[in-house]
Amino acid sequence: MDKMITLAHGGGGRKTSELINNIFRKHLGNEEFTSDDAAVLEPAAKKIAFTTDGFIVTPWRFPGGNIGKLSLCGTVNDLTCMGAHPKWLSCACVIEEGTPVDDVEEIVRAMAETAIEAGVHIVCGDTKVAGRGQVDHMFITTTGIGELQDGIYPKGSNATRGDAVIVTNDIGRHGCTILLSRDQYGIDADIKSDCAPLWGTVSSLFTITKNLHTIRDATRGGVGTVLYELARESNKGIRIDRSKIPVDPAVAGVCGMLGLDPLYLACEGTMVILAPMDDAGKIVEKLHSGKYSRNAAVIGTVTDDEPGKVFVKTDVGTEMILPEPGGELLPRIC
Amino acid sequence: MNESAERARNIIENYNGKKIRIMEVCGTHTHEIFRQGIRKLLPHNIQLISGPGCPVCVTPVSFIDEAVWLSENKHATICTFGDLMRVPGTEKSMLDVRRDGGKVQIVYTPLDAEKYAEENPSEKVVFLSVGFETTTPASCLAVRNAAKAGLDNFSILTANKTMDHAYPLLADSTDAYLYPGHVQAIMGTAICKRLLKSGISGVVAGFTAAELLTAIATCVTLLQDDKPFFCNCYPRVVTDDGSPAARVLMQKYMEPIDAEWRGIGMIPGSGLKLRNEFSQFDARLMFDIPIMHGHSNPACRCGEILRGSVLPSECPLFGKVCTPEHPIGACMVSREGTCSAYYQYGRN
Amino acid sequence: MCVGLPARVVRISKGTALVDASGAKRNVSAELLDSVEPGDYVMVHAGIAIAKITSDDNNEADAVMDKLEGAAATI
Repeated sequence: MDKMITLAHGGGGRKTSELINNIFRKHLGNEEFTSDDAAVLEPAAKKIAFTTDGFIVTPWRFPGGNIGKLSLCGTVNDLTCMGAHPKWLSCACVIEEGTPVDDVEEIVRAMAETAIEAGVHIVCGDTKVAGRGQVDHMFITTTGIGELQDGIYPKGSNATRGDAVIVTNDIGRHGCTILLSRDQYGIDADIKSDCAPLWGTVSSLFTITKNLHTIRDATRGGVGTVLYELARESNKGIRIDRSKIPVDPAVAGVCGMLGLDPLYLACEGTMVILAPMDDAGKIVEKLHSGKYSRNAAVIGTVTDDEPGKVFVKTDVGTEMILPEPGGELLPRIC
Repeated sequence: MNESAERARNIIENYNGKKIRIMEVCGTHTHEIFRQGIRKLLPHNIQLISGPGCPVCVTPVSFIDEAVWLSENKHATICTFGDLMRVPGTEKSMLDVRRDGGKVQIVYTPLDAEKYAEENPSEKVVFLSVGFETTTPASCLAVRNAAKAGLDNFSILTANKTMDHAYPLLADSTDAYLYPGHVQAIMGTAICKRLLKSGISGVVAGFTAAELLTAIATCVTLLQDDKPFFCNCYPRVVTDDGSPAARVLMQKYMEPIDAEWRGIGMIPGSGLKLRNEFSQFDARLMFDIPIMHGHSNPACRCGEILRGSVLPSECPLFGKVCTPEHPIGACMVSREGTCSAYYQYGRN
Repeated sequence: MCVGLPARVVRISKGTALVDASGAKRNVSAELLDSVEPGDYVMVHAGIAIAKITSDDNNEADAVMDKLEGAAATI
């Protein structure tokens, strides 16, 4: 097979088949992977959850993952947030002309490994090749179907007064990793993206309680953005305690250098869960035994007052409104 | 926070004497005071005023216009601190310039901008040099490195400023200053002692909760005696002598000029430009930039806000057309700007 | 006006110090300080070490409050 992707690989002929068979089918193949125009599925559940997500990331490879793994985790985690067991995924890849075939294989292999770990089948897909410069390396869109579980209906609007605000792991690691991978600021730190498929982590909690009011992955905009979304959707207030928020020390160091707040940095393997405070201890204890949630913590509570707002308890013990995230994160020096 | 900081906090919370005004002139102080919730501890008779200590806030509109011109007319690569990206010029900010295809790089330090110029000899690299005495030495080191490397594609657009001249001008607005810890780390405490001699009080303050509390408690306590005072409440970083090496460096590369402060106007001798010996690194000379007359929104009250004479909420634009996402005045642009801090941490 | 970050000096050569702020490492200029050694803590701003840090903020708070309370006693 060629060493570089060319426009011919998107032309629909022999080279396209070669790319699909030698890379995609080789790694992603399973009994449901279709050669026809659409996959045929037989859901066992009466209700399914259905979601889609587009992925672009620069650089495409970063400590802790690559865009392939990210594109799998993103959709698996979106389904997980609905309490839906992720079953089937599609993937559409737009590859930049001139991309080394080895890079494509590395990405597809990561998708395959993550799919196996998450227990999902990739059942259909598409590849297109775009001219040089029209995309950056590779853009991926994944779409997923998950089966809803009886008795589990988490929603953003379900937040209830007295709920514990739980983060399933330390926050801001993905955003920080990408920032450092771009090597713009000359900072080195031993930080890996938290990118991970979380169905196993979250479903392990169903043995403790099915009463998880809200599950939300703290991707773009980070935990701070999610908290504002949840406060608005439920018309409740949220109070968090800064000293309780788990942050990797190196992430805190990078944030200190650049004047950033980890609350606004993206996570790709960390959820915010709202659940009755009475269950919070057991939930966090269970999370601590999972490999993607060792640093889970209760960071705050849901209140009836100040609906739509998020407050933070500060070092001196007073409460301040959390600044609403907005716009591009810019490092500051002055 | 230890027991001493708790004592400081008690002094502040339980104060019930005459009304006193304390001005923090450092934007990072403004920011940290809000972020740490210190304002909430203050009884009504202690007023904390946010002064003009953010170099982004006081950078005039025309400076951004110059940078826009360099990008659009000279295709210069603009290197800048992230803080300046949102600052509105007459028509465009650097974010707008980047959106329109101009090359704008955010850097952590001017030293990286110089290095970038070395590595990319085909690009004309201009660093937007803003900052007070804390930041200016880094710009000087970048120019020194560029001279050493014999670069002809690196220059700086200066809007550096010094605080000394601003203190007497604003002294009527406050009873005591919280002097900016990191400016004093460079400049030492001589200026504070000179101001003391002319009856102006203040303390050097650090940035942690304990440091801000002890500095404010010191002001509150010493203001009870109607004698001017000075105290260094940040001794772990600030020495009387500061950094002589940094001052020698600034002396060597820069000289004072009259400078426009956005909102305040011209303050004689309060700006810095490169000395003639280093004029080959002065972007204004290298590119022969025309004189810009920046136009700011006439309804904007940033000037009075910077002087501490009105609160952000008294500006007709605040929170309505002027927000952190769409700043009009510079006080909203920098996250540490007075308006931005008020907007984010407590509109009420 | 100036975000500063305390960081530990790991190594120093030719005026450049590698500093470490709880795991975030960067080379910064140490030319403005005399006699910096590995293990020292410095305040870093915009890629330069602007000052040596001589104690933590708790000890500092003790010193400032002791001095203040001493002075207040004489008012």
